[in-house]
Amino acid sequence: MPKNPALIFLAAFLVNNILLIRYIGLCPFFGVSTSLNTAFGMSAAVMFVMILAAWVTWFIFHIVLVPLNLIFLRTATFILVIAALVQFVEMFLKKSYRALYSAMGIYLPLITTNCAILAVTFLNIDYRHNLLQATIFALGTGLGFALVIILFSAIRERLDYAPITRSFRGYPIAFIAASLVSLAFLGFIGLFGLSL
Amino acid sequence: MIQLRQMNKKSSRLKYLTNGIILENPTLILMIGLCPTLATSITVRDGLGMAAAASFVIIGSNVVASLLRRLIPATVRIPIFIIIISTFVTLVDYILQAYEPGLYQVLGVFVPLIVVNCIVLGRVEAFAYKHNVLDSMLDGMGKSLGFTLVLFVMGTIREVLGSGTFWGRPVTPAWFRQYPILLMILPPGAFILIGILKALLNKLMKPGS
Amino acid sequence: MSQSKVYMVLSLVVICLISAFALAQVYTLTKAKIEQAKIEAVMNALSQVLPNAISFEEKESSRVWFGYDKNGNKVGIVFQVMPRGYGGPIGTLVGVDSTGKITGLRIASPAEGLKETAGLGLRVREDWFRNQFINKTKNELRLKKDGGTIDAITAATISSRAVTNGVREGLERYKKYWSNDSTSPNE
Repeated sequence: MPKNPALIFLAAFLVNNILLIRYIGLCPFFGVSTSLNTAFGMSAAVMFVMILAAWVTWFIFHIVLVPLNLIFLRTATFILVIAALVQFVEMFLKKSYRALYSAMGIYLPLITTNCAILAVTFLNIDYRHNLLQATIFALGTGLGFALVIILFSAIRERLDYAPITRSFRGYPIAFIAASLVSLAFLGFIGLFGLSL
Repeated sequence: MIQLRQMNKKSSRLKYLTNGIILENPTLILMIGLCPTLATSITVRDGLGMAAAASFVIIGSNVVASLLRRLIPATVRIPIFIIIISTFVTLVDYILQAYEPGLYQVLGVFVPLIVVNCIVLGRVEAFAYKHNVLDSMLDGMGKSLGFTLVLFVMGTIREVLGSGTFWGRPVTPAWFRQYPILLMILPPGAFILIGILKALLNKLMKPGS
Repeated sequence: MSQSKVYMVLSLVVICLISAFALAQVYTLTKAKIEQAKIEAVMNALSQVLPNAISFEEKESSRVWFGYDKNGNKVGIVFQVMPRGYGGPIGTLVGVDSTGKITGLRIASPAEGLKETAGLGLRVREDWFRNQFINKTKNELRLKKDGGTIDAITAATISSRAVTNGVREGLERYKKYWSNDSTSPNE
């Protein structure tokens, strides 16, 4: 795995795109990418929580779990942290940034079970990232998620007007469309020497 | 009269089990649990390994949550469910590390990701919290069977077409294995396959023009 | 079902404690087995490339191992090189006997971090490619198109060349280990 922050970013953003190459984060992807507006809202919420979660879990892992030999509590701790974070973010937004809350607040509860956020926190540990690398990784992954989901919502809005055979309407054609975008993303392999 | 009611109860009980296999198949009907399905179905062996691990968590969490349902206050039920589920996931994590390290390496980050697998939390919240232990266990088993079935089908197609093998053993002629359909073991192939499967299911469930 | 705040907190704390306790038990129980599994995996890999040895001793951390037969005689060494292929480093284990001939070659699997392209570079793992290296001496270790005797994988020259050159360079670099102590044979 690359160590250089720029390469980490590129890998997370394009070459190892979390949605189309790692297959992570798909559930909300198909549900929320139906319109451009919801896509923007969800992406913003995901990116925000992703970076915050990366920080908090990194600190908890390195300052609490490792010294106390409690690594086996990693899964439980991380997911609880994410759930708590989402709660706090939601409460904070509701109180202080009403406008922002009504824009992306509805997606926040959905994010708790978003595989992508938990995956980022785990991968940061597996790849032995320091804090800076972890932040860049979270940023790149979040942007990669946003890129794909926004791209895709545009495609799906178009699909709504296309004549598609009954059995393929809805999810099936969305999957086929996803496969084509994924095929395109495979083309990024080898960029600056990065690989799958 | 009582005999009739008991018979009805038995058949509805069985329904909890059988529903999960096709009618309420988690992956293809409820559209949950997609991530691990696509990621681990590259070979049959990995897919079934994932299915086994996930099933352990689904059934275990369902049973425990149902056992404790009267003790869990509604206001903090989600965090408590999460703790129960993550306990089972960590259990599976360490058991795999100890006894099946090869499979553990292949599944990678998807083992801890079982904790956010929508199937687990979904069934605990929607079913186990409101039903008794036996029914919850049956429901968990049914959904696990459905999940396993899809993984098996996808794993078979992807492995046979993409590598020419089944469970690691060659099942296609050598000329095919020289240059198999690479697409099937790469991400786009997975998406196409599940799209076709879903379309097939749509067609089968709503026949007609 | 009590709704009081106290009960809420209490139930959370209790379940946390039970969970933590259960997991601590599982961790202690499996720790030994996990360590053992890791060691077994390494031993397995080493035996694959130096079949005559039944025990191994690590000489350079994760790089060189000495292999011994049942009488404690050194039968050869195993070294690991990580030449850069198309997608990343290719973990290659090479077994060498005391005359400098290769006894086996093992390439890491995707599960162990190999990142070569499926259907192309990944094929360096195939038996026929790896078996080419057995009994070869240093001078034969180049691709045919580079003047040696190794057949590359069609359309995967980068990966094939990486492995071949990596093995040759490793043979040279670790000569001090496999060559007999008193003399250094001219290869």
